[in-house]
Amino acid sequence: MIVCVAVVGHQNNPLYIQSFTKGDDSLLRISILNVEGCSYHSLKRHHIVHCSLDVVDERVNNPKKSGLIINETFLGLLNPTENYKVYGYLTNTKVKFILVTTDLEVRDVDARVFFGRFHTAYVDAVSNPFHIPGKKITSRKFAERVSTIVKSFGLSSGG
Amino acid sequence: MVREVSESCVESLLAEIVLSYCSGFYANKPELAARRIEAIGFQVGHQLSERYTMDRPRFTDNLDAIKFICKDFWSELFKKQIDNLKTNHRGTFVLQDNRFRWLAHMSVDPSVQASGNIQDPSAMAENKSAQATGMHLYFPCGIIRGALSNLGIECAVSADISNLPASLCLAFIILMPLLWLSQNLFSSISLQNADYAALLVQSIIF
Repeated sequence: MIVCVAVVGHQNNPLYIQSFTKGDDSLLRISILNVEGCSYHSLKRHHIVHCSLDVVDERVNNPKKSGLIINETFLGLLNPTENYKVYGYLTNTKVKFILVTTDLEVRDVDARVFFGRFHTAYVDAVSNPFHIPGKKITSRKFAERVSTIVKSFGLSSGG
Repeated sequence: MVREVSESCVESLLAEIVLSYCSGFYANKPELAARRIEAIGFQVGHQLSERYTMDRPRFTDNLDAIKFICKDFWSELFKKQIDNLKTNHRGTFVLQDNRFRWLAHMSVDPSVQASGNIQDPSAMAENKSAQATGMHLYFPCGIIRGALSNLGIECAVSADISNLPASLCLAFIILMPLLWLSQNLFSSISLQNADYAALLVQSIIF
């Protein structure tokens, strides 16, 4: 199950972060205090996404060590920490897509298909003349499309 | 699903942009109009480069990105390949297009040419036509600059037209190593000095 997707710009600035669960971690209670209006869960997700950015940079700058083809957009599994798996995707314009999921078995193909659709949705959102490059994506249509893509990811990899 | 727009609509829109900004919004300030048009082109180029790099493998270095701009991006945008590419291997690239489609249907008013000096009619006519079409070149320059900047390459772009119809010479200079040069170039990309800009670029290359 996908926990969160994020789009990060080329200066490592977050352009879009969307979570898809409502607090599934059994160790935490709802009474944990809110920090500046963000719940603990969304901060945790921000933190995971932020950490994975370092892995992205490392993969890109040291292609030989990681054994990856240098010019692939799909970066694969970034770091399987704790209960989460994080997948990365880097576009030509240095925009990074991060996918955080709690699935234990995610097929490579599914992640690639997901990122392909996500890239299409992103390009359409950015082509909006009212969108300011470098600022957060505020389009509702983009949010709806992303939700659709996330739902279809869950279904196809469920089998 | 590929959506299509008629080419004449695009050309009319571009001509109208130049007309509105030059005689409407910034009627007596051609410099401001030029910057505004170039900024519009910048945003368009930014967004178009996102779309056209979508299905491609990542570029390994700057040269790959420039090759992409010169070949694929140019042919998607202007429906034909460039005819000549020159570089001085120190960050300057000159793209030449012998029949630039966006300006192919433009002509210069012949009465303008007839009122020139008898001594030097050809140079005068050329100068006037260069001035008239100079404003139309800011938008394509902006597009190229926006696309390059989205791929991570900061540069200065200038364009020059020689002999209508439409032999366009578009030059861009990578900003980092040649900062002083681009400052000169920016100051010379004004309506009166399109020729000087072209000469400056040519002097670097040859």
